[in-house]
Amino acid sequence: MKKGPESNKNKAAGKTSLFGLLKPYSGLVTALVLFALAGNGINLIIPLIISHAIDAYSSGLVLGQTIISFLTASFFILIFNYLQGIAQTYTSEKAARDLRKQLSDKISRQSFAYVLHTNPARLLTNLTSDIDSIKMFISQAVVSIISSAFVIAGASVMLLSLNWKLALSVLFIIPIIGGAFFLMFRKVKVLFKKGREAIDWLNKVITESILGATLIRVLNSQVQEYQKFMKANASSRDIGLAILSLFAALIPVITFVSNLAMLLVLLLGGHFVIGGSMTLGNLAAFNSYISLLVFPIIMIGFMSNSIASATASYQRIQEVLGAPEAAETGTLDGKLSGHIIIRNVNVTYGEKQVLRNIGLEVKAGSKTAIIGPTAAGKTQLLYLLTGLIKPDTGEVLYDGKSIHDYRSDIFYRQIGFVFQDSIVFNMSLHENIAFSEHISDEMLDKAIDTAELKSYVSSLPKGLGTFVTERGTNLSGGQKQRVMLARALALNPNILLLDDFTARVDRKTEQKIMANIQANFPNITLLTITQNIAAVENYEQIILMMEGEILASGTHDTLIRNCPEYVQIYNSQRSTSLYDLPT
Amino acid sequence: MTYQLNIGNQEVKQRTKTFAALKKLFLILADEKRSLILSLLIILIHSSLTLIAPYLIGYTIDNYVQTRQYHGLFVFSGLLLVIYLFSLTTSYLQVKLMGGIGQRVVYKLRNSIFSKLLELPIAFFNENKAGDLISRINNDTDKLHQFFSQSLMQFIGSLFIMTGAGIFLLSISLPLGSAALLPALALLLFTRFITPWVKKRNAVSLASTGKLSAEVQESLANFKVVIAYNRRNYFRQRFDEVNVENFKFALKAGLANSLFMPVYGFFSNIGQLIVLAFGIYLISTGHFTIGLLISFLSYINNFYNPLRQLAALWTSFQVALAGWDRISLILSFETNLKAIEPQSSTCEASSVSFRNVSFGYPGGREVLHQAGFDLEKGKTYAFVGPTGGGKTTTASLIARLYDPARGVVLLNGRDLRTYTPAERAEKIGFILQEPFLFTGTVRENILYGNEAAYGLSDQRLLEVMRQAGLEDLLSRFEGGLDTEVLNSGETISLGQKQLIAFIRAVLRKPEVLILDEATANIDTVTEKQLESILQKLPDSTTRIIIAHRLNTIENADEIFFVNASRIVRAGSMTNALQLLMLDRRDS
Repeated sequence: MKKGPESNKNKAAGKTSLFGLLKPYSGLVTALVLFALAGNGINLIIPLIISHAIDAYSSGLVLGQTIISFLTASFFILIFNYLQGIAQTYTSEKAARDLRKQLSDKISRQSFAYVLHTNPARLLTNLTSDIDSIKMFISQAVVSIISSAFVIAGASVMLLSLNWKLALSVLFIIPIIGGAFFLMFRKVKVLFKKGREAIDWLNKVITESILGATLIRVLNSQVQEYQKFMKANASSRDIGLAILSLFAALIPVITFVSNLAMLLVLLLGGHFVIGGSMTLGNLAAFNSYISLLVFPIIMIGFMSNSIASATASYQRIQEVLGAPEAAETGTLDGKLSGHIIIRNVNVTYGEKQVLRNIGLEVKAGSKTAIIGPTAAGKTQLLYLLTGLIKPDTGEVLYDGKSIHDYRSDIFYRQIGFVFQDSIVFNMSLHENIAFSEHISDEMLDKAIDTAELKSYVSSLPKGLGTFVTERGTNLSGGQKQRVMLARALALNPNILLLDDFTARVDRKTEQKIMANIQANFPNITLLTITQNIAAVENYEQIILMMEGEILASGTHDTLIRNCPEYVQIYNSQRSTSLYDLPT
Repeated sequence: MTYQLNIGNQEVKQRTKTFAALKKLFLILADEKRSLILSLLIILIHSSLTLIAPYLIGYTIDNYVQTRQYHGLFVFSGLLLVIYLFSLTTSYLQVKLMGGIGQRVVYKLRNSIFSKLLELPIAFFNENKAGDLISRINNDTDKLHQFFSQSLMQFIGSLFIMTGAGIFLLSISLPLGSAALLPALALLLFTRFITPWVKKRNAVSLASTGKLSAEVQESLANFKVVIAYNRRNYFRQRFDEVNVENFKFALKAGLANSLFMPVYGFFSNIGQLIVLAFGIYLISTGHFTIGLLISFLSYINNFYNPLRQLAALWTSFQVALAGWDRISLILSFETNLKAIEPQSSTCEASSVSFRNVSFGYPGGREVLHQAGFDLEKGKTYAFVGPTGGGKTTTASLIARLYDPARGVVLLNGRDLRTYTPAERAEKIGFILQEPFLFTGTVRENILYGNEAAYGLSDQRLLEVMRQAGLEDLLSRFEGGLDTEVLNSGETISLGQKQLIAFIRAVLRKPEVLILDEATANIDTVTEKQLESILQKLPDSTTRIIIAHRLNTIENADEIFFVNASRIVRAGSMTNALQLLMLDRRDS
């Protein structure tokens, strides 16, 4: 991974303003501005041509010349305007694409905890709505602002050259309008940020109502969901209305001030014409330039909405881009034997201590079972072993070296983790199982065989090419579990972590699978969380966890002799072990 | 019936429905009739004021500046000031009213899409991606919002000004006016010709935004696996793909959209040229005055400037329409799980019965074939069988998440379809295989969907839970009822989630309680506790337990074996085991 330049870029990104965002596209932006300038510049000539024609009509000037110059000007305006449109689209879409890529790259480097705490709904808004408003800013506002500024400047120059006294007396509107913008901008930026947060909230409610769709229907709790949604939606509406109020005040003020300028031109200009210091044609031209001047000013008024919205969005995106990421520190790339030591590990989530003083040793190639009541910290222990969570104190050692000393790609290639919640992707079965890279066909076959999926896969008309729907809705719970196991085994791992794998798979299949693992992966180090002692009685080590602590560990025989809690769990299962038929 | 939103060849079917959907859009606007009329009125006033001002300026120049009369100049300047002050007010009201309509319409629209999502059956969600739906509710309505709050006002205003300016132009001079309006006709033809193509490109672009959103949604939801399999690059790759695709389509749409502006600009310049040339000709023949030409030129601007704006607005309108198509497709779906009229019931029969029930998922093979059984009130039944054998499907049919393809499901002797969703939810409790928690607290989650208990004080709630034997289970949560549930329960273990789901269902005291592998991830000691809680349920409660862990089913009164699209009575426990262990698995 190329760390250096990336982190530099992030640092730079932390400082840049909305306009700084355009830096990489300076070529395009320059072209864009040039086209806009050319188009608008030619546009400025048109009133001149008109004024000229009016002033000169009596002196018998040939109309033909006027028509030719007018037509040429219009034609060039057409060309430059379209070129401007193209450059505008390219710049905005490119910037959006690159910003999205930058964001997704950043997110992809983040830790599990980061994504959990940042809230996926927000990241989704960042990648969609936030980027959209920046795109809108670039495609509409950038050129409007630049060309408006140019038109304003150009028109001002023209006004000054026509009659500087009159010009100075109307150009006072520019600072007034500037001041009004400034005042209002500060207020509205905050509101826009809140508006985005309301969208995050909406995203969250929608996501949950989709993920929980079955539950909602079983409980007929649609009304409750609807109310939740309405609340988020109403807050989004109210923020929208608050923003609107500000703009509803700003825009008329700008228009009014501009109109006052028109009025002044009439009065003063009229005075000058009456006094003879100005021609009638000049007054007409002056009038045209004033309208030319006013239009961009009003445009900027409308664009201020987009500017404020994009500023708020960009700020949110920068928060994500600027977040510190877990540095890749590992350099070791050796093979893991499966020898694991955990020493004095404590893990806290907020105020909740999930793991307390954990210490254990797993021998290479051994089998270890973790049992314990619900919420004992069993899953957290596996997360710890895979670096998904980091210890507050203590250390996790593989072959005597800290987990962080290993290169993550090498490390994860050797560890197969089957999560307890079904996580399948909306891809083909083949891609789901060969999820990691470098999976040979041979390994894939072996994994499918071991996970007892062969007959299922061959029963499918499209076999491994069958598409898994989002959230795996076309697979049963047990099938998903076995697909996940195959995914882990396809890595040909040295260490296999099973989190309550047996919960969703029937006993017969479970026994077959365990035997398959034994046969096909004889040297594998196995750590399994299970509820069922009978299946793990012969394991080298059984660890009993309760409330984040390891209560006892040892072989089945030791525990049955020394640990009353273990005996209690064992007894709770004994009545049924009568039925455990030999296979 | 399919609920798929993203299939290519639906356009034909859709076109007829677009009309209905458009009508629906107007229905949403109907509530806004009063503000709409009011704002139209104000737009009308505002536009007239905007029109009068340049006319007055032209008039003043002609009549007072040219003739050097200060008095008239001042009077008319005063008049202009009054008009400007008026338009200050109308401009404020116009923005405020139309913007308000925009906000409220989007609010209502989002609500109606969401309530449609709630109304549609589970099958809809199996066929559509969460991210795409989110994109429809947020991004696509936002496109409509932008149109309503920003463009519609300008759209109407521009049209008014244009019409007014057009009439003025014609009334000042019919020949000059009609000549000036000629280029507008050309524009009309151009717009008509190019619009369908532009709209289509926008539709494709919005669809790819939906796809992008779906991709992000899935990758973020499965981030754990992405990390543990060191496939951070997977996230990047998949995202890059849709990102580049989105770029491509958005670019195409953008290029199409940016065609309008320059062409409109060009034609408005041509309009000016015609007026100038023709006007000067008319002046030279003595049919026109300079003052009139000056104001005529400014009216031409009044006509063509809004037309130029219309170009931008038309683009925004096309984007909004493309968004509306995507939204209206959802709105056009109807649930296929309608309640039917109650018929005479065979009274006091068994609790739940299947009669010749066949069922299969769309595009899949049959999961149940002519299955039939009767479950008596108050008894405990176990459904066992290999994974993928049809147990969850059977339970889903009892809870009417789907209707059978053939045959009937009876509840208390009455067709399940005759119950209202509320009745059904009250009578049937279903603890799902994959428990789901909402972000909030444990308390909110156990009371979720339980309106009767929602207002209970903590003390009362604990009392109720104690009576049901549920109170002890709360000790599994370090903060008790107030334990926080973050991110749809990502911070809570699966076993804990199952506990909450269990408490939630039991507190509702259903007549039929289905437990679908509901305790699979709960330790066996706690499970014993749950069993005794189940025993405490009223005698009339029918319990249906789906499990493969045998200890959970040993107390069953009867065991059914579900496999290979059949449900057979297994008789004794040992017989069931025999089937489970030896029967040919077919999944």
